[in-house]
Amino acid sequence: MTSITLDDIGLKDFTLQTLPRLKELRSQYFSRRPEICIERARYITKYLRYHDNASDSPEIRQAKKVSYFLHRKSAQFHDRNLIAGSTTSKALGAPLFPEFFALTLWPELETVSDRKKNPQKLTHEEATELNLDIFPFWMDKNVLELTRTRFSNPKCLQLFENLVFFIAAKAGCISHAVPAYSFMLEHGLSGMIAMAAEREEALAAATDKKERQQADFFRAVQISLQGIIAHATQLADEAEHLARVTNNSEDAAELIEMAAICRRVPAGPATTFREAINAIWICQVGIHAENINMAMSPGRLDQILYPYYRRDIAEGRLDIARAIELTGCLWLKIADNVTMVPEASEELFGGAGTVPAITIGGVDANGEDAVNDLTYIMLRVTELLTIRDPNVNARYDYEKNSSAYCRRLAEATLNTKSVPAFFNDKANITALTGQGETLEHARDYAVIGCVELASSGRDYPASSSIMMNLAAPLEMALFQGKRPITGEEQIGPVTPDPSELASFEDFWQVFKTQLDWLIEQAIQLNDYMGAVHQEMMPSPLLSALFIGPMDKGKDLIQGGALYNSSGATHIAFADVVDSLNAIEQTVFVEKKYTFNDLLEQVRNNFSGLEGEKVRLYLQNHTPKYGTEAPIARKNSRNLVQHLFNLYQSHTNYRGGPYRPSYWTMTNHAGLGGISGALPHGRKAGKVFSSGMTPVSGAAPELTACLNAVAELGGELVPGCWALNIKYTPEADVTTMSEYFAQTIEAYFRAGGQQVQFNIMTYKMLLDAKKHPENYPELMVRVSGYSAYFKDLNEMMKDELITRTQYGLTDGQAVPLPPLQ
Amino acid sequence: MKALIGNINRYALHDGPGIRSTVFLKGCTLHCPWCHNPELISPEPEVAFYPERCITCGDCQAICPQEAIHLESEHRIDRNHCNGCGLCVKSCPSGALILVGREYELEELVEILLRDRLFYERSGGGVTLSGGEPTQQLLFISALLERLHHEGIHTIIETNGLFSYEQFASACLNQLDLIFFDLKLSDSDQHRQVIGYDNRVILANLSRLLESRAEDVIVRIPVIPGYTASPENIDQIGQFLRQQKVLRYSLLPYHPYGLVKAEAIGVTPDQTLPRQAMDQSELLPWQGFFYDMELMST
Repeated sequence: MTSITLDDIGLKDFTLQTLPRLKELRSQYFSRRPEICIERARYITKYLRYHDNASDSPEIRQAKKVSYFLHRKSAQFHDRNLIAGSTTSKALGAPLFPEFFALTLWPELETVSDRKKNPQKLTHEEATELNLDIFPFWMDKNVLELTRTRFSNPKCLQLFENLVFFIAAKAGCISHAVPAYSFMLEHGLSGMIAMAAEREEALAAATDKKERQQADFFRAVQISLQGIIAHATQLADEAEHLARVTNNSEDAAELIEMAAICRRVPAGPATTFREAINAIWICQVGIHAENINMAMSPGRLDQILYPYYRRDIAEGRLDIARAIELTGCLWLKIADNVTMVPEASEELFGGAGTVPAITIGGVDANGEDAVNDLTYIMLRVTELLTIRDPNVNARYDYEKNSSAYCRRLAEATLNTKSVPAFFNDKANITALTGQGETLEHARDYAVIGCVELASSGRDYPASSSIMMNLAAPLEMALFQGKRPITGEEQIGPVTPDPSELASFEDFWQVFKTQLDWLIEQAIQLNDYMGAVHQEMMPSPLLSALFIGPMDKGKDLIQGGALYNSSGATHIAFADVVDSLNAIEQTVFVEKKYTFNDLLEQVRNNFSGLEGEKVRLYLQNHTPKYGTEAPIARKNSRNLVQHLFNLYQSHTNYRGGPYRPSYWTMTNHAGLGGISGALPHGRKAGKVFSSGMTPVSGAAPELTACLNAVAELGGELVPGCWALNIKYTPEADVTTMSEYFAQTIEAYFRAGGQQVQFNIMTYKMLLDAKKHPENYPELMVRVSGYSAYFKDLNEMMKDELITRTQYGLTDGQAVPLPPLQ
Repeated sequence: MKALIGNINRYALHDGPGIRSTVFLKGCTLHCPWCHNPELISPEPEVAFYPERCITCGDCQAICPQEAIHLESEHRIDRNHCNGCGLCVKSCPSGALILVGREYELEELVEILLRDRLFYERSGGGVTLSGGEPTQQLLFISALLERLHHEGIHTIIETNGLFSYEQFASACLNQLDLIFFDLKLSDSDQHRQVIGYDNRVILANLSRLLESRAEDVIVRIPVIPGYTASPENIDQIGQFLRQQKVLRYSLLPYHPYGLVKAEAIGVTPDQTLPRQAMDQSELLPWQGFFYDMELMST
């Protein structure tokens, strides 16, 4: 059921020149430097210090704490954006969440404003308040310390703190979710509060413990949502105040209209497109009062907002230019915050945005074409703004969506050089139905953060719970449970010396022993931290915006969602597969080297002429993931299959399964930097390959590469993957977008789940590294999200530079120029 | 059944419509000085040497049973003694030595070509046979084309036109969707002097092909400075095509791509050829000679 009424789906008549407000806002956005905002930390600390009642249930304590903050959160209008509300008190703010890692800022309070890489401004007064008042309160109260105390500093926690094995993301966030906004728009928060009150009322006489908990949850929902309404009222008051003190009558009129909107929504049901957009944004602000700003993803906005758009257009209240302007205002609002990153974490996370994902296109619950005018409007806005956040993802069903749509996506990618990312509806819906989701629910999937999948508002997938460094268990398999970086310490089980193994199959078993042990450590820590979250960080506000908790009377953190799971993503997949291939080929098939030879070279980091000879041989003469070499295909399939089986056999603290995925943010650069040499000829300290992407230079043919990756897709990768492909830009965008679109469709038909692009050359990126001042707005795809090239650390820049660049006119890898 | 193949170029966009796989068969009867693929002229495997990748480890010299490799020699390989066995290539860690020409079983090749079926289908592409001169391995390509045709894959041959018409027609004409037929020099004597054969058989073959398959023949003329790029030659080719009622043609701009590859296999390239590629716009003046035919861009 296609609902395209646009004459030109490219909307080429609408540019930043015809949309002066967006042009102005965009230029202000690029001129802003991040500032740390301490408002949230201040008010939740005050609440806990002076008002907290320890006998309240965890949900009610959380609700009161968040609502206390929302009642006091300052209302700011930083620019001429048409949408009211901001995540923080700063124009571009980094909020502090002392429940998590905010205290890592403590040693850097004096330096964070002026540090060389990505400084974040903090005033002297605010630094003092943090130092003397806020941080001391939290010293033993963050998730990490509570886990340490409650579970007596377990081994799994120590492994995590070592940072080189895996990352337990719950120490820093859960967030990573897509709420269900349609219900909120239809009923308004007041309507939802009334429903919660009714349910609480029905349980008033209950004495059963479970029912009491349910009543408490419904109470917590009301308190939280009232906090959002209180903040909307403050926004209205402030807008009216500003309208009175401005001399500009145009500004005043706009402010008065914004005030009226904030008094109507999100308390009441939305009646117009503009109200709906503003209601969603104020709810996003509310969600960020409760949950850290990491991948809180608004979801399928082209579907959610479409009824309001269509009605306004039909009734003449809205035209396309205004719809583009309002959508652009929302995009810029979503981009109004960054994460607080202490200097020590720059290596791992530097340059990342907060990755709120928006999903457009694809099919509807009935499996029919869901692309509408708003899909193209959102695509045009994404193309015109080309900003890091929101992370815009395009779903594509090659049978139901038109090829004109796919070509338009291709054209937008060629124009922006990097966005949107492409998601295959067929494969991703299969991945979710494989997790027991109904077909209708799976069809309503949206992307979370980088690439992860969730049925909109039904799925609480904590999709970034574990980030596993696969190179760690590989090294432990090579060195009997030890790793070069941790020296003589026995980390994993003592497995047999590889040089005594008779077959590759035996080594595969040894590798799995170490892998399974490490993953089980990570799972145990995740479940420990989950238990801590259940006590100290429930999410009644977010729960109210989900489908499930209001029926079950249960917070998301207690398993209130319809579908519950935990996500585990993997770093160094391609490097580990290639290492397995190299071992199998050279030690067991060709018998060119003994296992001892190989271990010796790895230990010595391939030093000397002999070492370099071996390294080049391993690099040039062993089967590679990203080609169709049978050994590489077998090992990649086996690894994906094994990880799937292992994770699915574990149940998390919310009663759901673990879901594997393959995206890496910037961790593949950071973890590569601290990992030793590997048997596929990678020297110590070199970056790993990103996400599901083959090792740079290992996959010389585009179609072979796409085929090799695609065949791994579907049920075995329920958390999806990030495949990075770099294309040489061509002058002829029209011809190129045709081949571009055809290539994506073939890759999707072969089973590929996701692909994202950088349309740039080695040369250009090398120049951007050398002269960052000439590329202030250069945006690149990292692994599932976008970043400004200049913000990335040096290792990550090198990783982007050396990624295989394919010519879209010949499908061959372009030779890498000599690097200075 | 086997064929000696120099390379399989997947995702080829310049060898016919859509996304294609181009199979480069080794062995050619002609010796054009500007040949794009000089490493595919000989019907035997050859070792190519790329000095910039060599780390002078000496493994190749040690392993060569013919004692044809000399580390101190600039070109490394004594071509008079090398028999193309490829042992040195297997031992070379850095990829400085590459074996050009590998035998493929028919089914192995078909399997590789079918891997990209989805790309062909989405783009209206298929498989192109090129070379070398594919008709030199006629029995093999006959079987290959039949298999591809059976699989519904669109097929093209790129030929220099020097073949026995009867054999060609019975072996593969019915399984070919398009024929790219090269014409280089119209003067038969010049053709013999420059390329090694006169062009009478080639011209006759083109005439006969056009009788039955005029719709499917595209004549390609390489525009080579100093050789084919003269007004007389191009004009005469134009007149010949007009007489023959050729419908579609294409001009191939000169590219020095073959020169580096010639050096890699120890062949000194023609020194009169420019080191600069020809720009598409330089073809414009030549197109006037074919005003009444349809220009195919490839």
